[in-house]
Amino acid sequence: MSKTLKGITLKGSAELVAEFFSFGINSILYQRGIYPAETFTRVTQYDMSLQLTTDAKLKNYLTNVISQLKEWLFDCTVQKLVVVITCLETNEVLERWQFDLECDKTFFLPDQCKYESIQEEIRSVIRQITATVTFLPLLETACAFDLLIYTDKDLEVPEQWEESGPQLIDQSEEVRLRSFTTTIHKVNSMVAYKRTNST
Amino acid sequence: MDDMEDTTIFSTLKSFKSLISGPDHSLLETEPAYGRSDLQKLYTKRVELEEAAERVRSHTSLLQLTQEKQQMELSHKRARIELEKEAHSSSRDLQREIDRNRELLLKIRRLEEREEKANQALNEQMENNKALKRNLEELHKKANVKDSKLTEADQMISELKDETRRLNQKIQIQESKFSTQNLEIQALQEQLDVQRKKYQDVSQRYQNLQSSHSISTESELKMKELERRLALQEQDSVIVKNMKSEMVRLPELEREIKRLREENCFLRETKENNSLLKEETEGLRKKLERVERVMEEKLKAELEKEKLEQELQAWENIGQAAGLNIRKPEDLSREVIQIQQRELNLKQQNYTLNSRLKQMLLRVAAENKKNEQQQKLEMLLDSRRERDGMRAILESYDSELATSEYSPQLMFRVKEAEDMLQKVQAHNTEMETQLSKAQEEAGSFKLQVQMVKMTLYLYTCMCLFFRQKIEELEAERQRLEEQNNILEMRLERHNLQGDYDPVKTKVIHLQMNPTSIAKQQHAEEVEQLRLECQLLRDRIRKIEAGGGVTKDDTTLIIPPSQEILDLRKQMESAELKNQRLKEVFQKKIQEFRTACYVLTGYQIDITVENQYRLTSVYAEHMEDSLLFKSTGPVGSGSMQLLETDFSRTLTGLVDLHLFHQKSIPVFLSAVTIELFSRQTVT
Repeated sequence: MSKTLKGITLKGSAELVAEFFSFGINSILYQRGIYPAETFTRVTQYDMSLQLTTDAKLKNYLTNVISQLKEWLFDCTVQKLVVVITCLETNEVLERWQFDLECDKTFFLPDQCKYESIQEEIRSVIRQITATVTFLPLLETACAFDLLIYTDKDLEVPEQWEESGPQLIDQSEEVRLRSFTTTIHKVNSMVAYKRTNST
Repeated sequence: MDDMEDTTIFSTLKSFKSLISGPDHSLLETEPAYGRSDLQKLYTKRVELEEAAERVRSHTSLLQLTQEKQQMELSHKRARIELEKEAHSSSRDLQREIDRNRELLLKIRRLEEREEKANQALNEQMENNKALKRNLEELHKKANVKDSKLTEADQMISELKDETRRLNQKIQIQESKFSTQNLEIQALQEQLDVQRKKYQDVSQRYQNLQSSHSISTESELKMKELERRLALQEQDSVIVKNMKSEMVRLPELEREIKRLREENCFLRETKENNSLLKEETEGLRKKLERVERVMEEKLKAELEKEKLEQELQAWENIGQAAGLNIRKPEDLSREVIQIQQRELNLKQQNYTLNSRLKQMLLRVAAENKKNEQQQKLEMLLDSRRERDGMRAILESYDSELATSEYSPQLMFRVKEAEDMLQKVQAHNTEMETQLSKAQEEAGSFKLQVQMVKMTLYLYTCMCLFFRQKIEELEAERQRLEEQNNILEMRLERHNLQGDYDPVKTKVIHLQMNPTSIAKQQHAEEVEQLRLECQLLRDRIRKIEAGGGVTKDDTTLIIPPSQEILDLRKQMESAELKNQRLKEVFQKKIQEFRTACYVLTGYQIDITVENQYRLTSVYAEHMEDSLLFKSTGPVGSGSMQLLETDFSRTLTGLVDLHLFHQKSIPVFLSAVTIELFSRQTVT
């Protein structure tokens, strides 16, 4: 891994970011209760304990998306990754976790290994995701999630993928979370949720 | 249930009995009232006895009927029970037979299976037999073949034996030949040896010859070579001589070579230096060009600087010249503003001055006019005075002339006067020219003043215009800045919400994503639940409509319990019993009614509760009927006749039998007799 290299390469950065997304999405699914808590198992990553799903179908889906995302990160053609949480009964979008990606193609190899600092930043972002549960409204109805990727217009869409709408929330509140950077990729996190009528 | 029915039947019978026996009691009670004569008493007693006998008979018949009926019922019951028992037993037998049948069927099936298996085994055995037979045949064939082959082989053997004999003979012959030939060979070999020896000798000689040949050739070659060497050496000697002469030159050449080599090195170095120097010169040239450019720019800059310095100095001088405290442009602008203010003030002053000037001019003009007029007047006066003076002088001179001739003095004075006049005229013209000049200057000054005013006005207008423009531009700039901020905030907001530019980005996702799968599953579940609902609703509707067990898809999946089945059977049997009893009851009632009708001659119908309609068998019309109402408690048998059309026709009988005799049966029988008599007569 990039731990042993002196600096970060484009490939290593893409792998780091893809790994972060894999664990981040799992954390979101666990925290928001999209899948029952007993289908998750505890693993250690970034020097903290995180939840990872054991559902085979879900794992398969996530691996598909993340592997494709890694390729696109290497080509620097992906702009955003969005986790959309929809209510099944009303087909309304209730939450949107958006991760903006900025790719710096004119990178230069730094002298020192910055893996520890990147890990620290990722740790703080995931801790913040866990903390957002305190102010997000409860998801009372059965929900399902979807992963959307914003890419360049001229990108060739692979076979199993299709174009979709942005699935925006009607009347939303947005909160900006922490960001982290690997000097090649910069990831900004934010969450938008549907405003609840406080009566 | 039987008991219930029996009780009902018994109760009805009792009521009938009471009905029938009722009038008896009433009659019996009212008997002793009538005591007219013995005959009548006897007759009445007889009638009563007959009636009683009839009653008894009817009673007995009724009892008999009831007994018969009970017996029949009992027999019915027994028959039924027996039938049921038989049915049970037959059903049991049937069940047993069915079971036996089933067992037999199973046995048959098993036997059939065994038969089949046996058949199969038989078939297999047959097939095995056939196969074995075939094998046997094949083996037979093979054996035959082998036999034939054996015979052939025997034949072959015999033939081969003959051949071997022949061959042996041949061998012997050959061997003899062989031996003879061996002998010949030996002889030949001896000859061969001799020949060989000879050959060897010859070959040795040949070799010797050859060696000598070769030696001779070698010597010849050597000779040639030596000769050649000799020639060469002679050449070499010549060469050596030449070389010696040249050798003398060798050190010089060596020195020259050294020198040339050093020169070479030196030239190479110089070549390198040259190239380096060329590069340096190139670089220096470029530098020079750059420096020259820089110098030009510097000159230009210096010129500009000088100009600017001059300008600055000029500005500063302006400040100094104007005596103002100028250090920054703000001061200048302040000064400009002050100057402008001063200008305004000056303009005002100018205006006032102009007005004053105009006034002054007017006054001047007026004064000039006045002056002119005065001058004219003065001139006139002067001229008049002069004239007068001249006149006076002339007169005096005339007077004096008269006396003396003062003409030269006069002439002289005239000349003087004329000189004086000319001088005065010249003075006047000078004054006039000066006045015109002054007027012209005043006009030019006016023009200048007007020009200055115009320029000032223009400048102020331009200033105001530029100030307005500046204010407008500032306001627009602020507005645009605010708009820019708002748009940036909106853009940020939209970015947070997830908006994107469709020209540069597109949104994609996997087709088989959890949301779509979940939506599909949800829709399927909803559809399934809807179908189940529909089925349940249909089932409920059918159950409510049917009431019993329905045998189609809407039946409950719950298997009916044994209790329910027993209860259903009980219900069915009870219903059957009910039906049967109803039929029997109906039959009996019908029988009884017909019997009553036949025997009493009246058909008794219960129209309404407690009302009985009697229709006589001999009634002339269908509607002729008597209505009786039961009064008092049920079963007491007290009846009253109600008014009908028919009863109105029988008022006599009613009076007689009901009012006086108070006997309904008598009345009824009287009516019967009456109607019968009517019928037979008619």
